[in-house]
Amino acid sequence: MKIGLFVPCYVDALYPEVGVSTYRLLKSLGLDVEYPERQTCCGQPMGNAGFEQMAEPLARKYDELFAPYDYVVAPSASCAAYVRVFHPGLTNKANGSHETHESYESHEPHESHWPHHCAAAAKTMDIVEFLHDVMKVESLPARFPHKVSVHNSCHGVRELGLSSPSERNIPRYNKIIDLLRLVDGIEVVEPERPDECCGFGGMFAVEEQAVSRRMGIDKVKRHIATGAEYVTGPDSSCLMHMQGVAEKEQLPIKFIHVVQILANGL
Amino acid sequence: MSTRHSKAAEAYQQKPEVVEHHDNTFFGVRQKRDRMAQALPEWEDLRNAANQIKRHTITHLADYLEQFEANAIKNGVHVYWAKDADEYNAIVYDILSSHNVRKVVKSKSMLTEECHLNENLEAKGIDVIETDLGERILQMMKLAPSHIVMPALHVHREDIGDTFRKLIPNYDEIVKGYRAVGGSATDENDPTFLTYVARMHLRQQFMEADAGMTGANFGVASTGDVVVCTNEGNADMSTAIPQLHIVSMGIEKLIPDYAAVAVFQRLLARNGTGQETTVYTSHFRGPRPGGEMHIVLVDNGRSSILGNVEHWQTLKCMRCGACMNTCPVYRRSAGYSYTYFIPGPIGINLGMLRNPREYSDNVSACSLCCSCDNVCPVQVDLSSQVYRWRQQLDALGKADAMKKTMSRGMSMLFNHPKLYTSALRLSPIVNWMPGFVVQSSLNPWAYGHQMMKFPKKSFHELWKELRD
Amino acid sequence: MSTKDEILQKLRSNTREQYEMPDLSQLTPITFDDPVAEFIRKTTTIAGAKLLEMKADDSLDAVVHKAYPDAKIIASNIPGVKAQLNPDTATVEELEKADVGVIEGKIGVAENACVWIPQAMKERAVCFASEQLVIVVHRDAIVNNMHEAYARIAASQEYFQEYKFGTFISGPSKTADIEGALVYGAQAARGATVVLV
Repeated sequence: MKIGLFVPCYVDALYPEVGVSTYRLLKSLGLDVEYPERQTCCGQPMGNAGFEQMAEPLARKYDELFAPYDYVVAPSASCAAYVRVFHPGLTNKANGSHETHESYESHEPHESHWPHHCAAAAKTMDIVEFLHDVMKVESLPARFPHKVSVHNSCHGVRELGLSSPSERNIPRYNKIIDLLRLVDGIEVVEPERPDECCGFGGMFAVEEQAVSRRMGIDKVKRHIATGAEYVTGPDSSCLMHMQGVAEKEQLPIKFIHVVQILANGL
Repeated sequence: MSTRHSKAAEAYQQKPEVVEHHDNTFFGVRQKRDRMAQALPEWEDLRNAANQIKRHTITHLADYLEQFEANAIKNGVHVYWAKDADEYNAIVYDILSSHNVRKVVKSKSMLTEECHLNENLEAKGIDVIETDLGERILQMMKLAPSHIVMPALHVHREDIGDTFRKLIPNYDEIVKGYRAVGGSATDENDPTFLTYVARMHLRQQFMEADAGMTGANFGVASTGDVVVCTNEGNADMSTAIPQLHIVSMGIEKLIPDYAAVAVFQRLLARNGTGQETTVYTSHFRGPRPGGEMHIVLVDNGRSSILGNVEHWQTLKCMRCGACMNTCPVYRRSAGYSYTYFIPGPIGINLGMLRNPREYSDNVSACSLCCSCDNVCPVQVDLSSQVYRWRQQLDALGKADAMKKTMSRGMSMLFNHPKLYTSALRLSPIVNWMPGFVVQSSLNPWAYGHQMMKFPKKSFHELWKELRD
Repeated sequence: MSTKDEILQKLRSNTREQYEMPDLSQLTPITFDDPVAEFIRKTTTIAGAKLLEMKADDSLDAVVHKAYPDAKIIASNIPGVKAQLNPDTATVEELEKADVGVIEGKIGVAENACVWIPQAMKERAVCFASEQLVIVVHRDAIVNNMHEAYARIAASQEYFQEYKFGTFISGPSKTADIEGALVYGAQAARGATVVLV
């Protein structure tokens, strides 16, 4: 089984240790992991901002780059979700529902492969679901003797199914917590309103900066109210937003990506 | 970068205690909805059924409307068709004026708000009295609704009390009457007391009215029934006292039969207010003895929406308000931050369908958390539709310039791996920038966040060490 | 072309894909081991009404007067109830002053304490304008849920014949429009008693 490692743009730039932990963890499970170096971004920032056509060439590049792998694994729930849920739609816009705008500047000739099957998108998984559903990990050597509050990132919950959405009447489950429970010494809790949005939302954080800040503060306070030392989750974007808010407001709690806990000691 | 919503929402944040109260109030309704959902093992099946019933009915709507009209006429009801708000207002005025109506009592109808009925009638000298308590309060205070189901929750009791004292001519008499029946509230701003005052005031309005108007939660094609659900009984009072009843119904409100009504009746209050049922679920099939019943079927853009591939499923909406109760942005910005009269996730989408250039400011009011999709009883894909509207903004000339520039900048970097990795190598420079630069208004991230520290080496650079 | 034809034509031409009606018989809605007990429980809790039980040969009139001893004006057309106003002959102005309205329900619903009240009098104002409402319903008319209730109504020949109105009522009128505070007696009945026969 060949794994292609996808380290999203902002993880690459700001939280490379998350990428390192992911690589080490996958290797420790005996997997053959490669990191195609020409990777950059999944396109979500542009897509969510309303410039999907700018994400389209990235989707095509992604598909080519990750073609050789059985699975593409990313330590980012929202990026894995964007690839899996949105890439197929992006690359199939030649069916008439997409307009080309003068604003779109293509740096490459616009190829029209129609219909396009995004093979790599279908094989893309967030590290949590990969470990839980594919590797079915039952033990980990990691030790993390701290109390952690789980941040159930929206796209993880509602697009990838990492946990049961609190809105639904379906059996309760949480893949993040299942994995964390394998870690020695850890105490795992969830905040009130366990899957309410932290307010990052990509460009939302700058376009609706006041509401985004309010949502961030409210979420951090709920994590703090659990008594946890750390907030942990599958999405560095949420953690980045909450950490930025917490530091500015001087709210005392630390932030760590789930994969760093699971790979602790490797 | 900002929109009218983001600016209004920012102003609203200036009173954190108001934001907190509003947020807690509406999340509380979301929690009540959750309890209702957990109590019914068949909950998700009901949502699936409601979605399928609506999709079926809407895609056979012409047939069902013909069936509905035929049955209504058989029951002695007058049926009219209005293609738009102007025609609707003209029809209603015509019915009222031909019956010499001077005063109308009405129960809540989002459709009448959409068509600006009240203003139209008042301009022509007809007195319109809202009878839903929240709507009546707003009418008297000349305020707009802030939510489609609980429109006046943001209004303080003191202001309501003052308004009643100012505008209800027989207020003192009502107070005397309250004491005479043993009313116990000592505080003249107590909600129980104020509700009593409103009750007595509205009783007089019901008795003086020449006509009653209602909306329609559902129209039943197989029988010609109009179903109206209220907690207060005001739709029933409006139609049990005056003899003339006019129903205003959006054409998308039809459902096929009683088996379908059961599904929707069970979902409506559970989703809208977190109750098992509204107190009153009334079926109006025909006029009262000696009375008249008129139904105005209104299109006003609905038949066009049907043709919109990406957005036709908003026609399934039953105006329950569950989406706004769960929306973290609505709860923290409240109804007045939105530029369309319906706020929240459904409001963003309906506003864009009404007039995309006029209402595009609301499209920013979404973090794409997808909570709304998971509460909507008819499974409207609300967040996906907001995402799709965002893709339209540029073509509408409404894309934010800064967002576009940032997106273009990112696009250029990401399409050129060499440029991208060079930028990564340079990014730690930000760590060394003076605080006054980084924290300035030129850096929008700095508004709410402490700037993050860029690590010396990106993953791209660390990879070289890792793979060896 | 009339507006009606215009609208219908537009709807037909704008419909692309058509969807089938789901098979609602596949739904398994909630049922109760003891629907009557559930109806009683819901009536006295979520509906905020009182509930009195009586036997078929008890006097409804006595039950009403015992529950509302101070009532001066009772409105009802139920045989045996000594009423000052008969909603078949009284005006709405008179009925608006009723202290107690006594009406008949034909189906009770356990899941939500709703009672199906088909209009059985000339002026239905008695159901809404009375200060207090007494609703009489038989225990063997209690069903589990709204699907069962609506199935009965749809199959019945007896409703909507003389008067073209029917309503489900669950307890007294209520509102929470002022600051979310729950208050009974918004515009219609301020209190209700369900009499279970």
